This record gives sequence, structure tokens and C-alpha cells, in this order.
Amino acid sequence: MGRLLDSLKRGFRSFDKGMREDATSLIRKQLDEEESVFALVTMGVFSGLPSPPTGVLLRILPHMSREISVMNKRSAGLDDVFSQTLGTFDID
Amino acid sequence: MRIYFFLGKGGVGKTTASAAWSVGLARSGMKTLVASIDPAHNLGDALGMELGDKITHVAENLDAAEVNIDDMIRAYLDELSVKMKHTYSYMSAMNIDGYFDILKDSPGIEEYATMEAIKKFAAMTQYDAIVFDTPPTGMTIRVLAMPRVSLLWTEQLVKMRKRILATRGMIENVQGKFEAQVDGETVVLSSSEKEDPIMQELVGYREELKTLRDMFSSDQSHVSIVTMAEDLALLETKRIIESLGKFKIQVRTIYLNKFFAMANPPDEIKGKMEEQERVVTRMKAEIPGIVVKDIPLLRTSPRGVEALFAVYSKYLV
Amino acid sequence: MTALIVLFAAAFYLFFYFTYGKALERNVVKADGARPTPAYSCRDDCDYVPANKFVLFGHHFASIAGAGPIVGPAIAVVWGWFPALLWVWFGNLFIGSIHDYLSLMASVRYDGKSIQYVSGELMGKSSKYIFEVYIYFTMILVVAAFMGTYGALASKSPEILTASVLFMVAALVEGQLLYKTKLPFWLSSAIGVALTIGSIIVGFIWPFIACPNIQLLYMFQVIYIILAAALPVWFLLQPRDYLNSYILWGGVIIASVAAVFAFRGFSWPAYTSFAARVISGQPSPFWPTVPLVIACGALSGFHSIVGSGTTSKQLDNELSGLFVGYGAMFMEGMLSTIVITSIGAFGFTVFQGVADKIAAAGFDLAKMQTDAGYFGQVGAAVINSKDIGIGGALGIFTKSFGQMLNVIKIPVKLGTTLGGLWASAFVLTTLDTTNRLARYAFQELVEPVKKVSKGLHAVLADKWVASIFAACLGWFLIAKGGNAYTALWAGFAGANQLLASIAMLTAATWVKKVQKVGGGMLAAVLIPTFILWFTVFCALIWFLFVIVPVTATALKVILGGFVILMLVLDVWLMYNFFKSWNEGKLNKA
Repeated sequence: MGRLLDSLKRGFRSFDKGMREDATSLIRKQLDEEESVFALVTMGVFSGLPSPPTGVLLRILPHMSREISVMNKRSAGLDDVFSQTLGTFDID
Repeated sequence: MRIYFFLGKGGVGKTTASAAWSVGLARSGMKTLVASIDPAHNLGDALGMELGDKITHVAENLDAAEVNIDDMIRAYLDELSVKMKHTYSYMSAMNIDGYFDILKDSPGIEEYATMEAIKKFAAMTQYDAIVFDTPPTGMTIRVLAMPRVSLLWTEQLVKMRKRILATRGMIENVQGKFEAQVDGETVVLSSSEKEDPIMQELVGYREELKTLRDMFSSDQSHVSIVTMAEDLALLETKRIIESLGKFKIQVRTIYLNKFFAMANPPDEIKGKMEEQERVVTRMKAEIPGIVVKDIPLLRTSPRGVEALFAVYSKYLV
Repeated sequence: MTALIVLFAAAFYLFFYFTYGKALERNVVKADGARPTPAYSCRDDCDYVPANKFVLFGHHFASIAGAGPIVGPAIAVVWGWFPALLWVWFGNLFIGSIHDYLSLMASVRYDGKSIQYVSGELMGKSSKYIFEVYIYFTMILVVAAFMGTYGALASKSPEILTASVLFMVAALVEGQLLYKTKLPFWLSSAIGVALTIGSIIVGFIWPFIACPNIQLLYMFQVIYIILAAALPVWFLLQPRDYLNSYILWGGVIIASVAAVFAFRGFSWPAYTSFAARVISGQPSPFWPTVPLVIACGALSGFHSIVGSGTTSKQLDNELSGLFVGYGAMFMEGMLSTIVITSIGAFGFTVFQGVADKIAAAGFDLAKMQTDAGYFGQVGAAVINSKDIGIGGALGIFTKSFGQMLNVIKIPVKLGTTLGGLWASAFVLTTLDTTNRLARYAFQELVEPVKKVSKGLHAVLADKWVASIFAACLGWFLIAKGGNAYTALWAGFAGANQLLASIAMLTAATWVKKVQKVGGGMLAAVLIPTFILWFTVFCALIWFLFVIVPVTATALKVILGGFVILMLVLDVWLMYNFFKSWNEGKLNKA
């Protein structure tokens, strides 16, 4: 009986987590985009893009680990853009 | 406290002018600091002393320094490197050194370091006056414009950051505190402006920039141009004044250095002296509100405090 | 009879899941529980994160389920319920589920890259480009086809129109609650579900939004998709998608229960004729045209895209792939089975309800019941007739659904409204999704224009231009096409099946060259691949020569052009396939 309750609890927790992810999947994709663009804009100096005067970058670079990793991840996936986006689309 | 900027091309005499000015101020009782932020340092030569990064006492009420901008840049990057080693655990794999090599020569880094140097000295409230011997005109204009330009960028970045934080907030409302794995470490991604380190940096920097911008445009700052009485120099001077005007920085005085003031000029010089007359007249006519002073071509370049004071009392005031 | 069919279908799918499915898993995919999936090897706790297989099943199923499994069978029943069921069962078994499963697993083996990428790797870069072109065309046709089916339904049913609009409002409110307030998640969800149920009930009791003018409805849909794609996602799209999953599961459960307990015999003809008039009122030979009608319940190229989008990145274990990829497709087959069952048992009840209008329109209801051949000739016309007002394919489904729910004591109109909201929620979601995707694909496609004219490229690649262009093209197709949504549906399904062809060809190449499978199991993949390719090719040719000539003039050129282009690309694709089959093309396991 205890084990049944346990697995029900676990089941509900997975369900809860799943539903919450469902409710934010698109927003999280949008966040990825925004963070990646932020990284691109501020760090444009490394890739020859117009960028803010270096002063701003010197201030915020120590805190940009998350944004840099998001940007790297998206750059790595640029040869297969559909894989990053198609899963969120609800066709059929 | 007043801040004096002496602008001018290389070789035009701005070091002499700024040094003389500072000597004069010191003699009149104001605690003065004269700092050279020109990479081609001549201040020490003008004052007749060895100068360095550290503030050196020159005479009564007068201190001086020559700022090494390259050293400053290296120091900033080292500081950045230390900060980053703390927060980026995968540094070694990422070859951060490569980043710094690029940053060392990146556009705007010199201007940034120069601006930081100005800020540092302007904060020394123990002085009544700070006099800057500036880098060649182009660089100085960029430095003086830097607060405004940086503000534009910083405002945009603040806006972008706000959006990111708002989006994170929405996710938080559903999923609770947003955690992410950044290379093996769990980091909490905040959605509040007070907790987001980047927002704090951006906002803090914005305030610093605003203060600098206001300082440059206020009565506290005196910008003077040291130039020569030649037609081309006039055109250039007008352009500089216009550029600075766009940034709401007012030029108050023009010093015409190496002015030909001879009783019996040889024929070769007569033409030049006519040009001078023309330039002075045009200047006074075409640049409203400007004070024009001429400093004659001296037999020997003034060296040392006494000689500089002579220049000050005879020609600068 | 209803219970019999539904239970038989369940048994059918379960049996083949454990025999055929397991054989595929063992011998073709060679699934290895010990091999780390990309969810672990590329883990970034963002896109790549292992998900519980039941949750993943739910997500995957929700992504692939939509209006497709409903509309397709509802059009196909004009051939009779038996052929429709056969395709839903055997087409799914031999082609569709294999397609879904292999696309998923191939993607898993390629670090979660899209099947489009894999096709480029295995069959050459041009295959990747062909894929993109197909996707773009499908987007435009989907807009036309779905707008048509929804328009046909909503113009005849104020209840459903009201419910759909109120549901939009509910989604807006839900968005505010979920994302802008600190209300507990389950409270907001409960409110959202309550509002959804509310919109159904209000639609049922007080259908205050009525719009018999189908052109206006098209315009409403176009404006809606452009706006929905432009507004921030949290505002409408995200909460609407979220509430849709409740509608889907609620609908599936209620439908299953009702189907099993309805205990009604089938009054619908089992078989009308081989070439019943199904598409555009033309005699449509069951083979090769059935894949142009029933897509999603049996076989759908889109599933390969969805599977290789999120699902492959979140698969926790290779052994879960069968359940998620293969199983979800079977579940969709169950859904289509229920749709056919509902129409099979209660379709005629619906007809009897409008017997006078049928007679007024010049059809003989009694003859429809006795003469299967006659039914095959006129069935579609009766369903689509504006004067009779059933409301097209979705209409016959929702109305029969209402009758079926009546057996478990739900008022007919309420059941109809529920079925209608179910279908329309998915239609609208598909519409705005495709618009966003079309915008994307369009911007990729016009990249080469940059070399010719920067200014022109800037205009074309602008997001508004791309978005409006795709939406309006779809609108043009349906509005000018004399509202011939069956033709456009067939066009969409054709493009969809071409996507399936690419995916199957890619999967077959993968199976042979990377998995090094031979013999019987290879045949199990190869034969369906060729049958599919050949069937769709023939179907498109039939479409070009039979359907395009009878569509409205404005449509002929565009639709004809699309089809010809798709045929050309299809041949090129087959050429690529044979080229890479024989060469030792580089491959990565």
C-alpha cells in the first residue's frame, strides 16, 4: 500500500513538472533568444559586430557566464535551425 | 573644484600651456593637480622633473602625474581576468586569454581607460583644481564624448536586460526560482533587478556616466584649445568646437601659440603675420563668446616652474 | 458494434506493438538501454534534458495530435467506414508508425538533430533544401485547408463559433493569471480549465456569435494568425497551447468512454465504391488517393519533424523510444478509429435530423441508406452542402460526436459543441503555428536573393512581410477556390506525405548504411518506403490531372504549380536516394 502511494506521489510529481514545463516551453524559448541576443550585442567586439564601447563589456563580462553559454549553444546549432524550433510547433 | 582641459594637436604647445596654467593656479593659492593623460608624455620635461603614475609633489600647492594608459588598460584586464576566474569555472578549457588579447586592442578601450583616469582624478576632492594635459585632439574629443555615447548604449542594454528579467519573472511565476546548469554548477537566474548582477552593473555604470557627462557640460569644466594662427588651424578649431558643442561641451578659450610678434619681421615672415591677423579677426568674428589669447613664439622653450609662471602671468591671464 | 470496433482496434494495436514493434526495436533500431541518449550526452538542462517517458509520451502525443486525425477520416468515410478503418489500421501499422519511430530514433542517434539535417547528412545537401521547400509549401496549404474546414464548420454552427471565440478570451485570461500573477500554478490551471468548460457551456446555451458568411470567417482567421504570431508568446499562444492539452485529454477520455459504451450498430455503409466522389466531388480511386485524405491518423510527415524537434532531445533511454514514438502513433490511430466509429454509428442519425433539407437539396436519403454506390456518389456533396448545413467534414464528426455522447446522457448540442471546440482549438493552433514556421522557412528560402538585391531581400525577409505573405497566400487559395477545402486538404496531405517520403527515405538509408540491417527487417522498412513514394507520386499526378482542372481558375495556376514543383522535387529526391544508396556516403552513427 505504501509503495502504491509512493509511486502515485512520484507519478503526480512528474505530471506536475511536466505540466509546468508545458505551460512555459514557448516562453523559455523566447528567453533563450533574448539572452543570446544580449550576449551577441554586448560581445560584438569579439566577432567584428558593432558593439558598445568596451567599458560596458568590462563591467558585465564577469557575470555573463549564462548568456555566453546560451549564445555558444545556439551558434553550435546554427546548421540545424529546425531542430531547435520545430519541436515547439503544434502542427497536425 | 574646477577641471581644466587643454586640447590641441601634437607639438602645438598644450603641455606648456597646461603646465603654465597649473603653476599659475597653484601660485594664486589653489591646491592644484596637473595630470598628463597624453600617451606622449611631455609634462615631466616641461616641469623639469621625473613624473610617473604616482602623484609627485612639484611645488607649493602643486602636484603632478603622468598616467600610463597602457598600464591602466592592462590593470583593468588583469582585474577582469581575476574576476572571471572566480565565476567561470571552465576558464582553462575556454582559453580566456584569447579573449583578453582581443580586448587589449578593442575599439574604445583606450578611450575607456582615459575616461576612467579622468574620473579617478576628478574624484580627488582635496584639490581645488585639476588640469589635464590631454591626448591629441581626436582622441580627446572621443573621450569627452564617451559618457554620452556610452549612455546611449547603456540605456539600450538596460532596456534589453529589463525584458530578459521580465520574461524570467513569468517563468518563475509558474516554475519557481529559475535554476540553470552552467558548466556543472547550478546558478540561480534571478528575475529581480536588485538581484541580477548584470543589471546592477549596468545601472551603476549608467549613474557614473551621467555624473561624468554632467560634469563635462557644467561650469565646473573649462575646455581650452591650444592651436596656431593659421587658416587650416582655424578651420580645424571651428570643427572641434562644433563637435564638442554637439556634446554640449563648451570651449571657453583659444590659445594661439607660437604667435609671431616681432617688431621687424623679415619678408619671409610678413605673409605669415598677415595670415595671423586674418585668423584672429575671423576667430573673434566667427566664434561667438570665445576668448582668444596669443602666446608669442619664445626664444627658449620654458622649462621649470619659474619659467612656466612667467608664461602664465604674461600671456595666459 | 461501436464497442466491438474500438476494442478490436485497441487489441490490434496492442498486439502489433508487442510483436512487430518489439521486432523493429530489436532488429532495426537495435535499441540499447545502456547507450546514453542525447538527453544525457548533450545535457544542458534546457533543450537536452531527460524526461520521464510518460510525460514525454504526453507531450509528443499532444504535439502530433491535432485536427488532422479528425478531419482526414471524416472526409474518407465517404468510401465507407471499412476502407477508412483499414487504412487507419494497416497504413499506420506498416508505414505510419514505422515512419514515426525510425525518424525519432535516427534523430536520437544523431544527437537530436532534426530529420532534415540527417537527410542532408545521408542523402546529400540538396535533400535538405528539398525538405525546406516542402515544409514551406505545406505551410501555405495547411493554412488554406484548415481555414477551409474551420470555415465550413463555424459558418454553420454558432455554438462552436461562440465557444471558439470565448476560448480565446479564456486563454488570454489564463496567460495573465499564469505569468503575471503569483497565483499558485494549479489554481490558475483550474481556473483556466473552468473557463474553457465555461466557453463550451456558454456556446451551447447562448450562441451569440453567429457568422454565416464564410468569407468573413476566413478574414477573421487570417487576422487572427498574423496577430497571434506577432503578439508576445505568453499573451495568447502559450496559455492557449497549455489549455489545449486539457481539451485533448478530456476529449480523448470522453470519446473513448462514449465509444465503448455507446453499443450502437453501424448504420453507415461499410463500403461504397472504389472511386467514390471524395475529393472535390471527383471520383477518387481509393488507391492511390487515400493518403491524400487520411494523413495524421495513419501517416504524417509532420510527425518526423516533431519527433526530431523536442522529443529526441528529451528521450531518457533508447528503450523508451518505442513507447513514445511508436506508441503515440498507435494512440493517434485509436483516435481516428474513434472518429470513424462515431460517424459510422451516428452519421445517419445526423442525416435523419436534416432529412427535409436533404430532400430539398435534391438528394434521396432513403437511397443513400440502401444503395452504397449512390452513397459513394453523393455522400460528400451532402456533407459539404451549404444549404443542408451539416458543416463539412468537421460538421459530420462533431454532430455525430454529439449523438454519441448523448448515449452517456450528455445533451446533443453540448456534445457537439465540445467536439467542435476540440477540433477548432486544434485547427487554430495549427494555423498560427504554421504561420510562424512559414515565416521562418520563407526567410531561409529568400537568403539567395541577398546576392541579387540587398534592398529586395530586406523587404522579403521582413517578418511582417513573410508572415502576411504566407497567410494571404493560404487565404487566397481557399477564398478564391470556391471554398473547395477538400481539394486543398488533399494538397496539404500530399505535401505532408512527401515530407513522410523524405523521412522514410532517410530512415531507410539510415537503416541500411548506418544500422547495417539486411534481409527481412530491411524489407519491412524499404517496401513501405517505396510503396509510399510510389503511391504519393501517383496520387499527385492524379491530383494534377483530375482535381486541378476542376478547381476555380484563380487556383489552377498556383495549385498546379505547387504540385508540379513538388513532383519535380520528388523525382530529384528519389535520384538522391539511389545515388547515396550505392555510393559509400559518409555516415555517422
